[in-house]
Amino acid sequence: MGGFFDKVVELFSTPEYIDSLLHGFWLTIQISYFAILIGILLGTIIALIDTAKPSKWLVIPKFICRIYTTIIRGTPMALQLFIMFFIIFAIKGFPSIITAIIAFGLNSAAYTAEVIRGGILSVDIGQTEAGMALGLSRRTIFFKIVAPQAIKNIIPALGNEIITVIKETAIVSMVGMYDLNMAAKDIGSGQNMASYIVPMFVAALFYLVTIYLITFIVKQVEKSLRKSDLRAEE
Amino acid sequence: MENKNTDLKIKNLRKAFGKNKVLNGIDFELVEGERVVILGPSGSGKSTFLRCINWMEEPTSGEIYFDGVLLTEKNIRKMRRNMGMVFQHFNLINNLTVMENLTLAPVKLKLMKRDTAEKRAKELLRHIGLPNKANAYPASLSGGQKQRIAIIRAMMLSPEVLLFDEPTSALDPESIGDVLELIRELADRGMTIMIVTHEMSFAKEIATRIVFLDKGKIIEEGTPDEFFNHPKTPRVKEFLKKVL
Repeated sequence: MGGFFDKVVELFSTPEYIDSLLHGFWLTIQISYFAILIGILLGTIIALIDTAKPSKWLVIPKFICRIYTTIIRGTPMALQLFIMFFIIFAIKGFPSIITAIIAFGLNSAAYTAEVIRGGILSVDIGQTEAGMALGLSRRTIFFKIVAPQAIKNIIPALGNEIITVIKETAIVSMVGMYDLNMAAKDIGSGQNMASYIVPMFVAALFYLVTIYLITFIVKQVEKSLRKSDLRAEE
Repeated sequence: MENKNTDLKIKNLRKAFGKNKVLNGIDFELVEGERVVILGPSGSGKSTFLRCINWMEEPTSGEIYFDGVLLTEKNIRKMRRNMGMVFQHFNLINNLTVMENLTLAPVKLKLMKRDTAEKRAKELLRHIGLPNKANAYPASLSGGQKQRIAIIRAMMLSPEVLLFDEPTSALDPESIGDVLELIRELADRGMTIMIVTHEMSFAKEIATRIVFLDKGKIIEEGTPDEFFNHPKTPRVKEFLKKVL
């Protein structure tokens, strides 16, 4: 096992390796961040259309949303990534990071939409009726009553989705992008350290710490949102 | 004698949920100051009838006039502020404090300034003996407290009519008394009231008129004395035999 520690020291004392890891980590973070952002924005729009009161204007949008989530959730992420890279954005010189962000963003949107839809539907109908009976507008009812309660149900599942996206971005190494996963493989390969175990463990640690941090933040947000559930207020 | 206004006039109201016809042509009038108790077996359409009046359920057909104005999809939101509603499950807004529950509508609808609304809310809270609950969230309240707050929430808009949909059905016996006491007080002050309830003795005591629904139709109505002591139809006689 002496070799293991030597490799650890080697990895952390070779600026080139550290550079590669940070470089890869940065790409992972960038793709994840923007993909999650797109996912939340587009997912919210899809969820709002899906949960809106049926009307003739919404028949087609509702249908499109259904088809969209069905296709995205029914096919592998890796395949969606390949389709984006080799078919839709198979344009010479098109930045691969943008392609990846779009691929993961569109994927995440379908799952996020389901999370938000579930959150909205979980709010007791009596809450909406109370607002209606008081003569409040649909807008006020949504923003003052439904949304704040839905968010409490959405946050934990959304945290889950964020974590999933971060880990899933590791498959961009399949299309040759230099993310954290790829960096670990690269450093470990024969021309470099000639040992996979240390870089792989270090990369794992990077993912783990990032995700632990996000879990922690989500828990804090959850806690602050649960304020009105406490029975202590007297 | 003073000339009383007709608050509510309903013509041939029908409501179906898909193929399930719940209301089958109801004609009804409500005059200012009346206290109408709606009785009937379960599934007779009592709650649906009440909920159609302020369009919690959109009527399938028929006309509802409130203060002479025909209710439509367009004007219903404005008209609702004149008809307070109290629900079986209270429906206090969970993410808002008691004070926010009371002031949300009058402030949002620009009927009162925030400080006026808060002052009024405090008065009403003091009146029902819960002045220290202004900053509490609904989750920390008992059922009886929630329902009494729901009643004063409806009163914040000074409605012309209060609609009660089984206001005590979800309460423990002790809280029922508190809630009925508050309703009784509103009645004494001349509030126009429609109430769906299973509390027969309360119905007898508070009603100026009893309306009996069966299979989505009004089959008998009259004063509490007429209804309870001299029922006309066999259906009502059968009903009274079971519940009294």
